[in-house]
Amino acid sequence: MSRQGPLLTLGSVVIVAGLFLYGNAVAAKPGGPPAAAATTPTPTATATSLPAGATSAPAHALFAGRSSGDQVTVAIAINGKKAAADLNAGLASEVSLQGSVSGDLVSLTSSSGTRLTGSVSGPDMFGTVSGFLGQSFPFSAAQAIVQAVYAGRSSNGELTLAVSTDGNQAVAYVCNGHTIEAWLQGSVKGNQVNLTGSKGASLTGSLTGLAMFGMVTPNTGLSLPFSAELSPHPAGVFQARVAINGLATRIGWAVLPDGTQVGVAVIGSTRQPAPLLDLSDGAFTLDGGSFTAAQVAGNATVVSP
Amino acid sequence: MTTQPVTVRQAPDQYAKPLLIALLSGCAVALVLGLYGGLHHPTHYALDIAGFSSPLYAKAWLTTAAVVFAVVQLGTGIRISRPDAPHGIATVHRWSGRIAILLTVPVIIHCLYALGFQTYSIRVLIHSVLGCIFYGAFVAKMLSLVNRETMPKWVIPVLGGVVFVSLAGLWATSALWLFTTKGVHG
Repeated sequence: MSRQGPLLTLGSVVIVAGLFLYGNAVAAKPGGPPAAAATTPTPTATATSLPAGATSAPAHALFAGRSSGDQVTVAIAINGKKAAADLNAGLASEVSLQGSVSGDLVSLTSSSGTRLTGSVSGPDMFGTVSGFLGQSFPFSAAQAIVQAVYAGRSSNGELTLAVSTDGNQAVAYVCNGHTIEAWLQGSVKGNQVNLTGSKGASLTGSLTGLAMFGMVTPNTGLSLPFSAELSPHPAGVFQARVAINGLATRIGWAVLPDGTQVGVAVIGSTRQPAPLLDLSDGAFTLDGGSFTAAQVAGNATVVSP
Repeated sequence: MTTQPVTVRQAPDQYAKPLLIALLSGCAVALVLGLYGGLHHPTHYALDIAGFSSPLYAKAWLTTAAVVFAVVQLGTGIRISRPDAPHGIATVHRWSGRIAILLTVPVIIHCLYALGFQTYSIRVLIHSVLGCIFYGAFVAKMLSLVNRETMPKWVIPVLGGVVFVSLAGLWATSALWLFTTKGVHG
């Protein structure tokens, strides 16, 4: 007895610990793992090749390529019925073009008389450029997955939001900086953005030109129209998950291109304004501790399925 | 911690092996807990224990209850090996210890699983380190109790002392801190 007692005690502690660990693992599973490593140090647009897509020109896409002689780089952005392009032969010889999309044909012109016409064929675009530094040449370009940030406000400025897209996936964070906040997740199909969150939260938007317009519902009973524009760094969705004095804490920030940041910290079940985020490195301090937030990419998981 | 200095000429040290096993097991447990807490990605989510305003208060009260039993441990442990020890003191000592350690299990699982080994302030760092030491010392004490008749006399009181002091430290850096900063309630 005296030899077994301590071992029985040890064994029962191990068993109880195992039971609790198992219970936690089971309970945590429906929520899935926390948004793991939602970090991409993004410039607002990066390019990777996309597998075969639709036959007509996609409503929201970026094509990047070169002229047949390889001297000129070609970048074409399509957003709804609008298109913009940039031709660059180095040595400050850069031309910007504006134009429109009709079916799978794009047609753009610059103020200096340069013309670009192209035809979208699946993930590729082929076409010709004329009047660029007195030259005409064919080009080819491939569709790139678009990682973009749209940032803006609701109509009366109550809510600030940022939407991060990655190809056909998107996440968004919307909040009022005090008590209202929602994480949203969903898809970009054509120029339609459909995101949902927990507790009835949703965002529907359409991409027109370089902007997104729509309705955002951070929680049931509060729906507001919003507008957001395609925004460069430092705009974005930022998130931190930390433990503050033993309380699970999730902090979100919507950052506008001018550096304005609006965020809410959910500490346990209480909500308070988020601490100031250092946009250069994501650092912030809360309750005496130093932490780091990460920018959230459009393909991250921010809403528990 | 080192073993008894042993002079080579003497008969083989009967203490050395079981003691070494107990102490190294304790060290291993402390190390494993620390590594798990440091490497496991914190879930920030764990089972709630019903009846408290937050998981934090549930943990604080469980730890406080464990400390109460630990005080009983201290009181009985001091007298347990005296010749004039009251009858039944060993039973009280054993059962108060069992209850105390079992009370800490839900707490440590929440700490490790949901939060992990954190270093963001002195209090939190001390708490994390003490948590590993506490369970390591507990395991070492249990294993040395198995062979207690072959142990040097100081081993079990010293390990018991480490367990008690580390638990008191754990309580002071968590529950006491919570009660003094956020108030005493359920």
